[in-house]
Amino acid sequence: MSSDAMNAPRRGNMNTKNQRIVLAKVGLDGHDRGIKVVARALRDAGFEVIYPGLWLSPEAVVRVVAEEDAPWLGISLLSGTHLVLVPKVLELLRQQGLSHVRVVVGGTIPEEDVAPLLACGVAKVFGPGSSLADIVSYFKSEAYHERTRCNSG
Amino acid sequence: MSARDVTPDESSELQGLWQAAKQGDRRALARLLTLAGQSEHKPTLYRLLAHSSPPRSSLVSAITGSPGAGKSSLIGKMLPLIRQQGHTVAVLACDPRSPLTGGALLGDRIRMPVTVEDQGIYIRSLATPPGRQGIAESLDIRVGILEHSGFDWILVETVGVGQGDVAVRDLVDCVVLLIPPESGDEIQWEKAGLLELADLVVVSKGDMPGATRTAAQLQQTLNLPGFPPKQILVVSVARNLGIAELVKQLHEQPRRRHAPERRGQRLLLLAQEILAERFAERKDLVQGVLAEARRQGWDDWQAANELVHWLMTHE
Repeated sequence: MSSDAMNAPRRGNMNTKNQRIVLAKVGLDGHDRGIKVVARALRDAGFEVIYPGLWLSPEAVVRVVAEEDAPWLGISLLSGTHLVLVPKVLELLRQQGLSHVRVVVGGTIPEEDVAPLLACGVAKVFGPGSSLADIVSYFKSEAYHERTRCNSG
Repeated sequence: MSARDVTPDESSELQGLWQAAKQGDRRALARLLTLAGQSEHKPTLYRLLAHSSPPRSSLVSAITGSPGAGKSSLIGKMLPLIRQQGHTVAVLACDPRSPLTGGALLGDRIRMPVTVEDQGIYIRSLATPPGRQGIAESLDIRVGILEHSGFDWILVETVGVGQGDVAVRDLVDCVVLLIPPESGDEIQWEKAGLLELADLVVVSKGDMPGATRTAAQLQQTLNLPGFPPKQILVVSVARNLGIAELVKQLHEQPRRRHAPERRGQRLLLLAQEILAERFAERKDLVQGVLAEARRQGWDDWQAANELVHWLMTHE
């Protein structure tokens, strides 16, 4: 390959294009300010954010992830039900052959609940006080690693 | 150009997904629709499409109209009606991609019910770049994939569009144009563009003041003596009015998509897409042409023509 071709920008390799993230609210939790702010930040960072709205059951969220072929699921919970609903979502993802989907949890998650969530398969927890810059740079760096894996594999 | 070469491995992976999707595997279908957006997979997908016949011919309808006209909400109400008639239905919901960052917020699904058990509905959100007349890249091949997966109905929701975004017509059987109440007067309805091409004109938000007047104006303006008649419907999602009638009318529309004259139009759209991709990949050539333009004293017209030449010939 000529150096000219090496230097040419190629689709999907140089940025976050085609990186799809489903952001979801699960259960009876109407607090959607946070998830909308995160959705905007990720949109502005170049991600495709799919937001299916409020009050979804774990089954509905998993259905959306499957239909959208999204490698990422972000769940926002401000209802205190994270230790019940998040494991349920993860279990449904496994049952449907979607265990490759990485799940990130955000919201009012007490410090002591972070370890149990990580133990059951959550990739990352963004609790109170998390900055938008941290969230965006987490997804960007994961997207970068993902591409490196794909390109070398 | 590497995008035109197909490796046997890639081809067999796509073939596996293709067969699985045809047999109703929704995961395989979802994956195929993702891969259809990547130029390296298009040669194989188009070949698979050309060498296989769909289980049935889908009825493909576009729902288009200005932002906030009520396209997603209308589709949300149409889905259960279509299912009640025993038909399966897929939705391709387009929302805009940012011209600044390439990001997108895809929120059409909020207005559509999430069915957990029903495998007869499939909804997919698509980010749509600017300058694409309101339809996502690779829409044609994605509609083809859904048709081969056996859906009776395929609904394409465009990005909120204006008067001139007419390209979707060549990819579907029927165009439904949604017009909210009080969004124009008699002169507005005389103008050329989308209104001419719509097969069904539907006034949305029929429960709001002004809906009847807008429908009456459209009725008068579009049905002048000597012109082919165009039916105007009024729907209200809030009151669940007129939606069954719309579904019935759509069902009776002729299948125009496979008409011979449409194929030429589709090829032109596809060629535009290929060129747009190529141009997006090689924006680096602009700097070279600019430098050359300064040396040679080219004006903008000469430089732009030279740029086109470079884009077509540089590997």
